[in-house]
Amino acid sequence: MTDPKTQTGSRQDEFEFFEESNALWWITLAPTTWAVHFVLAYGGTAVWCAKFGETQGVTVARLSIAGLTVLALGFIGWLGWRSVRRWKPRQNDMEDLSHPEGRHEFLGHAAFLLCIISAIGVVYVAMPALFITTCR
Amino acid sequence: MIRSLAGSGRRLVAMALMMALAGCAGRQSALSPAGEDASWLHDLWIVMLVGAVILWTALNGLFFFVTRVRPNDWPERHANRLIIGGGVIFPTVLVGTLLAYGLSMMPHMRADGDGLVVKVRAEEWWWRVEYWPAGATAPIVTANEIRLPTGQRTELLLDANKYIHSFWVPALGGKMDMFPGRETRMTLRPETPGVYRGQCAEFCGPSHALMAFEAVILTPGDFAAWLEAEAAPAAPPATPEAQRGQTLFRDEGCGACHAVRGTEFDGLVGPDLTHLASRQSLGAGIMEVTREDLTDWIAHTRDIKPEVAMPAYDWLEAAELADLAAYLEGLK
Repeated sequence: MTDPKTQTGSRQDEFEFFEESNALWWITLAPTTWAVHFVLAYGGTAVWCAKFGETQGVTVARLSIAGLTVLALGFIGWLGWRSVRRWKPRQNDMEDLSHPEGRHEFLGHAAFLLCIISAIGVVYVAMPALFITTCR
Repeated sequence: MIRSLAGSGRRLVAMALMMALAGCAGRQSALSPAGEDASWLHDLWIVMLVGAVILWTALNGLFFFVTRVRPNDWPERHANRLIIGGGVIFPTVLVGTLLAYGLSMMPHMRADGDGLVVKVRAEEWWWRVEYWPAGATAPIVTANEIRLPTGQRTELLLDANKYIHSFWVPALGGKMDMFPGRETRMTLRPETPGVYRGQCAEFCGPSHALMAFEAVILTPGDFAAWLEAEAAPAAPPATPEAQRGQTLFRDEGCGACHAVRGTEFDGLVGPDLTHLASRQSLGAGIMEVTREDLTDWIAHTRDIKPEVAMPAYDWLEAAELADLAAYLEGLK
Protein backbone atom coordinates (compact mmCIF):
# COMPACT_ATOMS: atom_id res chain seq x y z
CA MET A 1 0.00 0.00 0.00
CA THR A 2 1.37 3.36 -0.93
CA ASP A 3 1.32 6.02 1.68
CA PRO A 4 -1.39 8.55 0.60
CA LYS A 5 0.87 11.36 1.77
CA THR A 6 3.73 10.23 -0.46
CA GLN A 7 1.28 9.82 -3.34
CA THR A 8 0.07 13.38 -2.86
CA GLY A 9 3.69 14.56 -2.74
CA SER A 10 4.46 12.70 -5.95
CA ARG A 11 1.47 14.25 -7.72
CA GLN A 12 2.54 17.64 -6.46
CA ASP A 13 6.04 17.03 -7.89
CA GLU A 14 4.58 15.89 -11.20
CA PHE A 15 2.41 19.00 -11.39
CA GLU A 16 5.37 21.26 -10.60
CA PHE A 17 7.54 19.48 -13.16
CA PHE A 18 4.77 19.86 -15.75
CA GLU A 19 4.42 23.52 -14.95
CA GLU A 20 8.18 24.19 -15.09
CA SER A 21 8.61 22.35 -18.38
CA ASN A 22 5.76 24.49 -19.71
CA ALA A 23 7.53 27.56 -18.36
CA LEU A 24 10.61 26.56 -20.33
CA TRP A 25 8.49 26.63 -23.47
CA TRP A 26 6.89 29.84 -22.27
CA ILE A 27 10.19 31.75 -22.27
CA THR A 28 10.74 30.90 -25.95
CA LEU A 29 7.43 32.47 -27.04
CA ALA A 30 8.56 36.10 -27.19
CA PRO A 31 11.75 35.43 -29.23
CA THR A 32 9.71 33.14 -31.49
CA THR A 33 7.21 35.96 -32.05
CA TRP A 34 10.11 38.24 -32.95
CA ALA A 35 11.49 35.63 -35.39
CA VAL A 36 8.09 35.03 -37.02
CA HIS A 37 7.53 38.80 -37.33
CA PHE A 38 10.97 39.13 -38.95
CA VAL A 39 10.36 36.35 -41.48
CA LEU A 40 6.87 37.60 -42.39
CA ALA A 41 7.96 41.25 -42.67
CA TYR A 42 11.04 40.63 -44.83
CA GLY A 43 9.84 37.54 -46.70
CA GLY A 44 6.38 39.02 -47.29
CA THR A 45 7.81 42.28 -48.61
CA ALA A 46 10.24 40.43 -50.91
CA VAL A 47 7.41 38.34 -52.38
CA TRP A 48 5.07 41.34 -52.67
CA CYS A 49 7.70 43.48 -54.40
CA ALA A 50 8.68 40.66 -56.78
CA LYS A 51 5.06 39.97 -57.78
CA PHE A 52 3.21 43.28 -57.50
CA GLY A 53 5.79 45.96 -56.66
CA GLU A 54 6.08 47.48 -60.11
CA THR A 55 2.35 47.95 -60.60
CA GLN A 56 0.99 48.45 -57.10
CA GLY A 57 3.88 49.94 -55.12
CA VAL A 58 4.75 48.98 -51.59
CA THR A 59 1.85 50.49 -49.60
CA VAL A 60 0.09 47.17 -48.97
CA ALA A 61 3.31 45.61 -47.69
CA ARG A 62 3.97 48.60 -45.40
CA LEU A 63 0.43 48.50 -43.96
CA SER A 64 0.72 44.75 -43.47
CA ILE A 65 3.98 45.21 -41.58
CA ALA A 66 2.30 47.88 -39.41
CA GLY A 67 -0.55 45.46 -38.62
CA LEU A 68 1.83 42.58 -37.94
CA THR A 69 3.90 44.81 -35.68
CA VAL A 70 0.88 45.86 -33.62
CA LEU A 71 -0.14 42.21 -33.28
CA ALA A 72 3.38 41.08 -32.35
CA LEU A 73 3.87 43.87 -29.80
CA GLY A 74 0.42 43.19 -28.32
CA PHE A 75 1.20 39.50 -27.94
CA ILE A 76 4.66 40.20 -26.47
CA GLY A 77 3.08 42.74 -24.09
CA TRP A 78 0.60 40.11 -22.90
CA LEU A 79 3.43 37.57 -22.49
CA GLY A 80 5.40 40.18 -20.53
CA TRP A 81 2.45 40.85 -18.21
CA ARG A 82 1.98 37.13 -17.54
CA SER A 83 5.72 36.75 -16.99
CA VAL A 84 5.75 39.51 -14.39
CA ARG A 85 2.89 37.78 -12.59
CA ARG A 86 4.91 34.59 -12.54
CA TRP A 87 8.04 36.45 -11.40
CA LYS A 88 6.24 38.36 -8.58
CA PRO A 89 8.98 41.00 -8.29
CA ARG A 90 7.45 42.57 -5.16
CA GLN A 91 7.64 39.29 -3.24
CA ASN A 92 11.01 38.06 -4.55
CA ASP A 93 14.37 39.73 -4.64
CA MET A 94 17.26 38.55 -6.85
CA GLU A 95 18.59 36.33 -4.06
CA ASP A 96 15.31 34.35 -4.00
CA LEU A 97 15.58 33.66 -7.73
CA SER A 98 18.98 32.03 -7.36
CA HIS A 99 17.67 29.08 -5.30
CA PRO A 100 16.02 25.95 -6.72
CA GLU A 101 12.83 26.88 -4.87
CA GLY A 102 12.70 30.11 -6.82
CA ARG A 103 12.90 28.37 -10.21
CA HIS A 104 9.32 29.23 -11.10
CA GLU A 105 9.88 32.92 -10.39
CA PHE A 106 13.29 32.85 -12.10
CA LEU A 107 11.68 31.56 -15.31
CA GLY A 108 9.13 34.38 -15.08
CA HIS A 109 11.95 36.88 -14.70
CA ALA A 110 13.88 35.40 -17.67
CA ALA A 111 10.73 35.39 -19.80
CA PHE A 112 10.10 39.04 -18.94
CA LEU A 113 13.64 40.05 -19.99
CA LEU A 114 13.22 38.11 -23.25
CA CYS A 115 9.94 39.97 -23.82
CA ILE A 116 11.80 43.28 -23.56
CA ILE A 117 14.54 42.33 -26.05
CA SER A 118 11.94 40.80 -28.40
CA ALA A 119 9.81 43.96 -28.34
CA ILE A 120 12.90 46.05 -29.18
CA GLY A 121 13.74 43.60 -31.97
CA VAL A 122 10.22 43.79 -33.42
CA VAL A 123 10.33 47.61 -33.44
CA TYR A 124 13.78 47.66 -35.13
CA VAL A 125 12.66 45.11 -37.73
CA ALA A 126 9.57 47.20 -38.54
CA MET A 127 11.34 50.55 -38.76
CA PRO A 128 12.42 50.30 -42.44
CA ALA A 129 8.73 50.13 -43.39
CA LEU A 130 8.29 53.60 -41.87
CA PHE A 131 10.88 55.15 -44.16
CA ILE A 132 11.05 53.13 -47.37
CA THR A 133 8.32 54.10 -49.81
CA THR A 134 9.30 52.09 -52.87
CA CYS A 135 10.21 48.52 -53.81
CA ARG A 136 13.49 49.67 -55.38
CA MET B 1 64.92 61.64 -20.27
CA ILE B 2 61.20 61.42 -19.48
CA ARG B 3 60.64 64.80 -21.14
CA SER B 4 62.42 63.67 -24.29
CA LEU B 5 60.39 60.42 -24.34
CA ALA B 6 57.17 62.40 -23.95
CA GLY B 7 58.27 64.69 -26.80
CA SER B 8 58.98 61.69 -29.07
CA GLY B 9 55.63 60.20 -28.15
CA ARG B 10 53.83 63.40 -29.08
CA ARG B 11 55.68 63.57 -32.41
CA LEU B 12 54.77 59.93 -33.13
CA VAL B 13 51.10 60.55 -32.35
CA ALA B 14 51.11 63.69 -34.52
CA MET B 15 52.71 61.76 -37.42
CA ALA B 16 50.28 58.87 -37.07
CA LEU B 17 47.36 61.33 -37.02
CA MET B 18 48.65 63.12 -40.11
CA MET B 19 49.08 59.82 -41.96
CA ALA B 20 45.62 58.66 -40.92
CA LEU B 21 44.03 61.94 -42.00
CA ALA B 22 45.93 61.93 -45.30
CA GLY B 23 44.25 58.58 -45.98
CA CYS B 24 40.86 60.33 -45.77
CA ALA B 25 41.53 62.54 -48.79
CA GLY B 26 42.08 61.65 -52.42
CA ARG B 27 40.08 60.73 -55.48
CA GLN B 28 39.02 57.33 -54.20
CA SER B 29 37.81 58.25 -50.75
CA ALA B 30 34.29 58.12 -49.36
CA LEU B 31 35.46 60.75 -46.87
CA SER B 32 36.18 63.23 -49.65
CA PRO B 33 32.75 63.38 -51.32
CA ALA B 34 32.24 64.88 -54.77
CA GLY B 35 28.54 64.16 -55.12
CA GLU B 36 25.25 64.40 -53.27
CA ASP B 37 25.03 60.66 -52.53
CA ALA B 38 28.61 60.49 -51.25
CA SER B 39 27.90 63.53 -49.02
CA TRP B 40 24.96 61.69 -47.45
CA LEU B 41 27.12 58.63 -46.86
CA HIS B 42 29.89 60.81 -45.45
CA ASP B 43 27.44 62.39 -42.98
CA LEU B 44 26.04 58.96 -42.13
CA TRP B 45 29.56 57.68 -41.43
CA ILE B 46 30.37 60.64 -39.16
CA VAL B 47 27.08 60.33 -37.23
CA MET B 48 27.52 56.54 -36.84
CA LEU B 49 31.11 57.01 -35.69
CA VAL B 50 30.12 59.63 -33.11
CA GLY B 51 27.23 57.41 -31.92
CA ALA B 52 29.52 54.37 -31.66
CA VAL B 53 32.15 56.32 -29.76
CA ILE B 54 29.54 57.68 -27.31
CA LEU B 55 28.08 54.19 -26.77
CA TRP B 56 31.48 52.54 -26.38
CA THR B 57 32.80 55.22 -24.02
CA ALA B 58 29.65 55.37 -21.92
CA LEU B 59 29.28 51.61 -21.50
CA ASN B 60 32.97 50.97 -20.84
CA GLY B 61 33.03 54.00 -18.55
CA LEU B 62 30.15 52.45 -16.66
CA PHE B 63 31.98 49.12 -16.35
CA PHE B 64 35.08 50.96 -15.18
CA PHE B 65 33.05 52.94 -12.66
CA VAL B 66 31.38 49.94 -11.08
CA THR B 67 34.47 47.71 -11.09
CA ARG B 68 37.24 50.20 -10.21
CA VAL B 69 35.85 53.49 -8.91
CA ARG B 70 33.02 52.10 -6.76
CA PRO B 71 33.59 48.35 -6.53
CA ASN B 72 31.76 48.11 -3.18
CA ASP B 73 28.21 46.78 -2.80
CA TRP B 74 25.47 48.92 -4.27
CA PRO B 75 21.97 49.25 -2.91
CA GLU B 76 19.78 47.10 -5.14
CA ARG B 77 17.62 50.01 -6.20
CA HIS B 78 20.62 52.03 -7.41
CA ALA B 79 22.16 49.05 -9.16
CA ASN B 80 18.89 48.35 -10.95
CA ARG B 81 18.61 51.95 -12.06
CA LEU B 82 22.15 51.88 -13.42
CA ILE B 83 21.61 48.60 -15.29
CA ILE B 84 18.20 49.51 -16.70
CA GLY B 85 19.11 53.10 -17.55
CA GLY B 86 22.68 52.58 -18.74
CA GLY B 87 22.45 49.03 -20.07
CA VAL B 88 18.97 48.92 -21.60
CA ILE B 89 17.29 52.29 -22.18
CA PHE B 90 20.34 54.32 -23.24
CA PRO B 91 21.74 51.85 -25.85
CA THR B 92 18.25 51.06 -27.16
CA VAL B 93 17.38 54.72 -27.69
CA LEU B 94 20.80 55.57 -29.15
CA VAL B 95 20.89 52.60 -31.56
CA GLY B 96 17.22 53.24 -32.48
CA THR B 97 18.00 56.88 -33.25
CA LEU B 98 21.00 55.92 -35.40
CA LEU B 99 18.85 53.34 -37.22
CA ALA B 100 16.13 55.93 -37.88
CA TYR B 101 18.73 58.43 -39.12
CA GLY B 102 20.27 55.86 -41.49
CA LEU B 103 16.88 54.68 -42.77
CA SER B 104 15.71 58.25 -43.37
CA MET B 105 18.42 58.55 -46.08
CA MET B 106 17.30 55.53 -48.05
CA PRO B 107 14.41 57.15 -49.98
CA HIS B 108 16.82 59.78 -51.41
CA MET B 109 19.09 57.05 -52.70
CA ARG B 110 16.23 55.47 -54.58
CA ALA B 111 15.35 58.71 -56.34
CA ASP B 112 14.52 58.69 -60.06
CA GLY B 113 17.10 59.79 -62.63
CA ASP B 114 16.77 63.06 -64.58
CA GLY B 115 16.95 61.45 -68.03
CA LEU B 116 20.44 60.15 -68.81
CA VAL B 117 20.83 56.39 -68.36
CA VAL B 118 24.24 54.72 -68.27
CA LYS B 119 24.33 50.94 -68.59
CA VAL B 120 27.43 49.25 -67.24
CA ARG B 121 28.20 45.56 -67.68
CA ALA B 122 31.06 44.04 -65.72
CA GLU B 123 33.23 41.77 -67.90
CA GLU B 124 36.36 39.79 -67.04
CA TRP B 125 38.03 42.18 -65.90
CA TRP B 126 36.84 45.37 -67.49
CA TRP B 127 33.69 47.51 -67.90
CA ARG B 128 31.40 47.74 -70.93
CA VAL B 129 29.60 51.10 -70.89
CA GLU B 130 26.60 52.38 -72.84
CA TYR B 131 25.18 55.91 -72.71
CA TRP B 132 21.46 56.28 -73.33
CA PRO B 133 20.57 60.01 -73.30
CA ALA B 134 16.85 60.76 -72.83
CA GLY B 135 14.95 59.68 -75.95
CA ALA B 136 17.89 57.78 -77.50
CA THR B 137 17.06 54.74 -79.63
CA ALA B 138 20.63 53.42 -79.80
CA PRO B 139 23.42 53.66 -77.24
CA ILE B 140 26.77 55.40 -77.44
CA VAL B 141 29.19 52.61 -76.59
CA THR B 142 32.46 53.02 -74.76
CA ALA B 143 34.45 51.17 -72.09
CA ASN B 144 36.44 51.37 -68.88
CA GLU B 145 35.46 54.92 -68.05
CA ILE B 146 32.33 56.62 -66.73
CA ARG B 147 31.63 60.26 -67.53
CA LEU B 148 28.77 62.00 -65.77
CA PRO B 149 27.45 65.56 -65.71
CA THR B 150 27.24 67.62 -62.53
CA GLY B 151 23.95 68.87 -61.14
CA GLN B 152 21.73 66.09 -62.48
CA ARG B 153 20.85 62.63 -61.32
CA THR B 154 22.02 59.91 -63.70
CA GLU B 155 20.52 56.44 -63.59
CA LEU B 156 22.99 53.55 -63.71
CA LEU B 157 21.72 50.13 -64.78
CA LEU B 158 24.21 47.46 -63.84
CA ASP B 159 24.72 43.80 -64.70
CA ALA B 160 27.56 41.37 -65.27
CA ASN B 161 28.69 38.89 -67.90
CA LYS B 162 29.90 35.87 -65.97
CA TYR B 163 30.82 36.57 -62.33
CA ILE B 164 29.42 38.76 -59.57
CA HIS B 165 31.14 42.16 -59.41
CA SER B 166 30.38 45.42 -57.62
CA PHE B 167 30.34 48.97 -58.94
CA TRP B 168 31.83 51.55 -56.61
CA VAL B 169 33.08 55.11 -56.99
CA PRO B 170 33.59 56.06 -53.33
CA ALA B 171 33.77 59.80 -54.05
CA LEU B 172 30.36 59.70 -55.80
CA GLY B 173 28.21 57.29 -53.80
CA GLY B 174 27.60 53.84 -52.39
CA LYS B 175 28.40 50.54 -54.02
CA MET B 176 26.03 48.29 -55.93
CA ASP B 177 26.52 44.62 -56.80
CA MET B 178 26.41 43.48 -60.44
CA PHE B 179 24.98 40.04 -61.20
CA PRO B 180 24.92 37.95 -64.38
CA GLY B 181 21.33 37.85 -65.63
CA ARG B 182 19.93 40.36 -63.19
CA GLU B 183 19.86 44.14 -63.54
CA THR B 184 20.53 46.30 -60.50
CA ARG B 185 20.00 50.03 -60.36
CA MET B 186 21.45 53.05 -58.67
CA THR B 187 21.38 56.79 -59.27
CA LEU B 188 24.20 59.28 -58.73
CA ARG B 189 24.21 63.08 -58.63
CA PRO B 190 27.81 64.32 -58.89
CA GLU B 191 28.54 67.89 -57.81
CA THR B 192 32.26 68.63 -58.22
CA PRO B 193 33.97 68.30 -61.61
CA GLY B 194 37.13 66.19 -61.51
CA VAL B 195 38.57 62.75 -62.16
CA TYR B 196 37.73 60.15 -59.52
CA ARG B 197 38.55 56.48 -59.29
CA GLY B 198 36.14 53.58 -59.26
CA GLN B 199 36.97 50.01 -58.37
CA CYS B 200 35.28 46.61 -58.52
CA ALA B 201 34.32 46.04 -54.90
CA GLU B 202 33.41 42.34 -55.02
CA PHE B 203 36.14 39.73 -55.38
CA CYS B 204 35.66 38.44 -58.90
CA GLY B 205 38.75 36.44 -59.86
CA PRO B 206 42.51 36.70 -60.41
CA SER B 207 42.42 40.24 -61.80
CA HIS B 208 39.81 41.65 -59.41
CA ALA B 209 42.27 44.17 -57.95
CA LEU B 210 43.13 45.30 -61.51
CA MET B 211 39.50 46.02 -62.42
CA ALA B 212 39.21 49.75 -61.89
CA PHE B 213 38.03 52.72 -63.93
CA GLU B 214 38.14 56.48 -64.01
CA ALA B 215 34.98 58.46 -63.27
CA VAL B 216 35.22 61.82 -65.00
CA ILE B 217 32.77 64.43 -63.75
CA LEU B 218 32.10 67.28 -66.16
CA THR B 219 29.93 70.39 -66.16
CA PRO B 220 26.72 69.84 -68.21
CA GLY B 221 28.13 71.84 -71.15
CA ASP B 222 31.41 69.92 -71.21
CA PHE B 223 29.53 66.65 -70.83
CA ALA B 224 27.25 67.40 -73.79
CA ALA B 225 30.29 68.29 -75.94
CA TRP B 226 32.11 65.13 -74.86
CA LEU B 227 29.08 62.92 -75.53
CA GLU B 228 28.69 64.38 -79.01
CA ALA B 229 32.38 63.67 -79.73
CA GLU B 230 32.06 60.19 -78.24
CA ALA B 231 29.12 59.40 -80.54
CA ALA B 232 31.18 60.29 -83.63
CA PRO B 233 33.09 57.61 -85.59
CA ALA B 234 36.81 57.11 -85.07
CA ALA B 235 39.31 59.45 -86.66
CA PRO B 236 41.14 57.85 -89.62
CA PRO B 237 44.87 57.24 -89.12
CA ALA B 238 46.75 60.49 -89.73
CA THR B 239 50.38 59.38 -90.04
CA PRO B 240 52.13 56.65 -92.07
CA GLU B 241 53.01 54.95 -88.79
CA ALA B 242 49.33 54.93 -87.71
CA GLN B 243 48.26 53.70 -91.16
CA ARG B 244 50.67 50.78 -90.85
CA GLY B 245 49.25 50.22 -87.39
CA GLN B 246 45.71 50.04 -88.75
CA THR B 247 46.82 47.46 -91.33
CA LEU B 248 48.43 45.41 -88.54
CA PHE B 249 45.25 45.78 -86.47
CA ARG B 250 43.37 44.20 -89.39
CA ASP B 251 45.97 41.51 -90.19
CA GLU B 252 46.38 40.38 -86.59
CA GLY B 253 42.62 39.98 -86.24
CA CYS B 254 42.22 42.63 -83.52
CA GLY B 255 38.93 43.75 -85.10
CA ALA B 256 37.39 40.35 -84.40
CA CYS B 257 37.24 41.28 -80.72
CA HIS B 258 37.39 45.09 -80.68
CA ALA B 259 35.04 47.56 -82.36
CA VAL B 260 36.29 50.82 -83.86
CA ARG B 261 33.21 52.66 -85.14
CA GLY B 262 33.58 54.06 -88.65
CA THR B 263 35.77 51.10 -89.73
CA GLU B 264 35.14 47.47 -90.58
CA PHE B 265 36.26 46.46 -87.08
CA ASP B 266 33.11 45.48 -85.20
CA GLY B 267 34.12 42.85 -82.63
CA LEU B 268 32.10 42.72 -79.44
CA VAL B 269 34.25 40.47 -77.25
CA GLY B 270 36.60 43.13 -75.90
CA PRO B 271 36.31 46.83 -75.13
CA ASP B 272 35.19 49.30 -77.80
CA LEU B 273 38.29 51.25 -78.91
CA THR B 274 36.65 54.01 -81.00
CA HIS B 275 37.91 56.83 -78.76
CA LEU B 276 40.48 54.92 -76.72
CA ALA B 277 43.02 57.75 -76.75
CA SER B 278 40.57 60.23 -75.25
CA ARG B 279 40.24 58.04 -72.13
CA GLN B 280 42.12 58.62 -68.92
CA SER B 281 43.41 55.08 -68.56
CA LEU B 282 44.23 51.81 -70.30
CA GLY B 283 43.46 48.21 -69.28
CA ALA B 284 40.57 49.23 -66.96
CA GLY B 285 42.20 51.86 -64.79
CA ILE B 286 45.66 50.33 -64.44
CA MET B 287 47.86 52.04 -67.10
CA GLU B 288 48.05 55.29 -69.01
CA VAL B 289 47.21 55.78 -72.70
CA THR B 290 50.82 56.42 -73.74
CA ARG B 291 52.93 54.88 -76.48
CA GLU B 292 55.01 53.04 -73.89
CA ASP B 293 52.06 51.60 -71.95
CA LEU B 294 50.19 50.65 -75.15
CA THR B 295 53.12 48.59 -76.49
CA ASP B 296 53.69 47.08 -73.07
CA TRP B 297 50.02 46.09 -72.80
CA ILE B 298 49.74 44.59 -76.30
CA ALA B 299 52.90 42.50 -75.83
CA HIS B 300 52.32 41.39 -72.23
CA THR B 301 48.57 41.41 -71.56
CA ARG B 302 48.46 38.30 -69.39
CA ASP B 303 51.58 39.23 -67.42
CA ILE B 304 49.98 42.55 -66.60
CA LYS B 305 46.43 41.27 -66.06
CA PRO B 306 46.28 37.53 -65.19
CA GLU B 307 43.72 35.42 -67.11
CA VAL B 308 42.46 38.32 -69.22
CA ALA B 309 40.89 37.10 -72.49
CA MET B 310 43.20 39.08 -74.77
CA PRO B 311 46.30 37.08 -75.76
CA ALA B 312 49.75 38.65 -75.52
CA TYR B 313 51.05 39.68 -78.96
CA ASP B 314 54.64 39.03 -77.96
CA TRP B 315 55.72 37.80 -81.39
CA LEU B 316 55.36 41.27 -82.91
CA GLU B 317 58.54 43.22 -83.59
CA ALA B 318 59.14 46.39 -81.59
CA ALA B 319 58.52 48.49 -84.71
CA GLU B 320 55.20 46.74 -85.33
CA LEU B 321 54.14 47.29 -81.74
CA ALA B 322 55.05 50.96 -82.12
CA ASP B 323 52.91 51.19 -85.28
CA LEU B 324 49.94 49.55 -83.52
CA ALA B 325 50.36 51.90 -80.58
CA ALA B 326 50.52 54.87 -82.96
CA TYR B 327 47.20 53.80 -84.53
CA LEU B 328 45.55 53.41 -81.13
CA GLU B 329 46.99 56.72 -79.91
CA GLY B 330 45.26 58.41 -82.85
CA LEU B 331 41.81 57.12 -81.78
CA LYS B 332 40.89 60.33 -79.98
